[in-house]
Amino acid sequence: MLKRKINLWHILLLLVILGAILPILFMISNSFKTLRDSYGTMLNLIPLHPTLENYQLLNQQVNLLGLTWNTFLMATMVTVGKLLTGLLTAYAFRSYQFKGKMLIYLIFVSTIFVPFTIVMIPNYLVIAKLNLLNNIIGVALPQLCDATGIMIFLKTMEKIPNSLIDAAKIDNIPNRRIFFNIVVPILKPSIVSVGAIFFINSWNEYVWPTLILKDKASFTLPLALQNYISSEGGTNFPLAMALSTIMVILPLIIYLIFQKYILNSISNSGLK
Amino acid sequence: MHNKNKRFLPFLYLLPTAILLVVFLVIPILYTFYLSFFDWNLIAPTKEFVGLRNYLEVFTDPVNQKVILNTLIYIVFLVVLNFLVPYFISLVVKFFISKMQGVYKVLFFIPSLFSLVVGAMVFTWILNPVSGPIAYILKNFGIAMPNWSNSGILAITVICFITNWKVFGYNFILLLTGLGSIPKNIIDAAKVDGIPKWRLIWNVILPMNRGIGIYVLILTIVQGLQYVFTPINVITTGGPYYGSSNMIYQTYLNAFVLYKTGTSSALAIVTFVIFLILLFIEIRFVERKAKNYA
Repeated sequence: MLKRKINLWHILLLLVILGAILPILFMISNSFKTLRDSYGTMLNLIPLHPTLENYQLLNQQVNLLGLTWNTFLMATMVTVGKLLTGLLTAYAFRSYQFKGKMLIYLIFVSTIFVPFTIVMIPNYLVIAKLNLLNNIIGVALPQLCDATGIMIFLKTMEKIPNSLIDAAKIDNIPNRRIFFNIVVPILKPSIVSVGAIFFINSWNEYVWPTLILKDKASFTLPLALQNYISSEGGTNFPLAMALSTIMVILPLIIYLIFQKYILNSISNSGLK
Repeated sequence: MHNKNKRFLPFLYLLPTAILLVVFLVIPILYTFYLSFFDWNLIAPTKEFVGLRNYLEVFTDPVNQKVILNTLIYIVFLVVLNFLVPYFISLVVKFFISKMQGVYKVLFFIPSLFSLVVGAMVFTWILNPVSGPIAYILKNFGIAMPNWSNSGILAITVICFITNWKVFGYNFILLLTGLGSIPKNIIDAAKVDGIPKWRLIWNVILPMNRGIGIYVLILTIVQGLQYVFTPINVITTGGPYYGSSNMIYQTYLNAFVLYKTGTSSALAIVTFVIFLILLFIEIRFVERKAKNYA
């Protein structure tokens, strides 16, 4: 009796998995179908006549390598920048007593409550003044302003015993060496997972590229994909699905490798 | 000398973050506040001071009133789809099954890895009223799929489902973690006493998980209203006739499509004030840790 009840719950959870995964499977499968097949055999998950036609066509229409490189470059800059500033800030919080600490902490907490719309116009004007419109650096800069990394690093740093850092200080080891030779190695798992999350988020970033990048040569992948979708229904879906498939490969690989770290970090970020 | 150096050191470490926050967050907020009292078009050399007129327009202009109402509808849909549903599922995974928890966690999270533009594309295909698979299946039952992008409320529903697809796994994991941090002996004691599971959850578990519950609820509203920007811009651009626009999207439209920075800034400030109220609730109920730094 009890066993049957448990099975019913698993059926519900299985439906949730289908809702999450099926759209992606359909997307990948249709990217390997011809336009005619994608209409005729819509619900076939395995293409009857698999073809690379869409990918070849896509490669003729857009500069796939350039798009991927732009996106990769932007995401890498944002990731490195946010990791460095986040680690330094969290270290200062962990190791020093100073005035205004609580106020600064609350400012960090509050950054996620700032809607991007309130900084949108001024940041656009600043990027334009710096002559960085249509430039990957111009899209990366406003994304650096984010305190989520600081919060996660702070939580992991608090687990480093005081005695370890004090001992190093007594031995007169300079701060910069304590930071790079003691703190950073201990934090390695959370640096890897936070870095992976930063990279994936920036890889998918849509708002700032929409505002800053108008010239097609400077586009990132999400902007290019948007050009293949129109509300009028005139969309060539297999082509859009091929581009989407290219877009999701890298985040999927990163997740496959660092899945345990990533999920742990997200769990920790919620524990207050 | 050495001592003085030490006192400056923490501020040196804070400097890069401080510069970023001041340049790209604090000054922009103040400047937007300033812009909200002027008429401007992003380009003209002069700005015209108009006092509180932009704010008046936010609350009296029929389009803006519609957008504010839409924002409320978005909030209700987002809370149900992105907070209540994942909360229910996390309770099921925590208390009603005993195996495969890890597998569910790993698989539920997968859509969170993908761009909302990808989500918008796939769901416009799945829900395409003429040639999509759902329309195809419904046709076999003799039902015609409504052209949802012509109806504001249906478009809002679809857009919320797209963000649900992306956010569900993320919120699920946060809530499940919260449930996991409730001491096991409390749950065991209730089991020994033979208290029914749903009463245990309602009377004990939910109140004990209140901190993270409120955190995810607030995050759902604050981030959700911004997440929907992407599918709105990709699928409906706010239409039909502002029917699927919300305050965030309208702020963008006013600034970069209609070139009315005054109305845009006033809308942004009003949104920010609403978010600040939510922030206050968050600090009051969730951020117990801030006291460590007092």
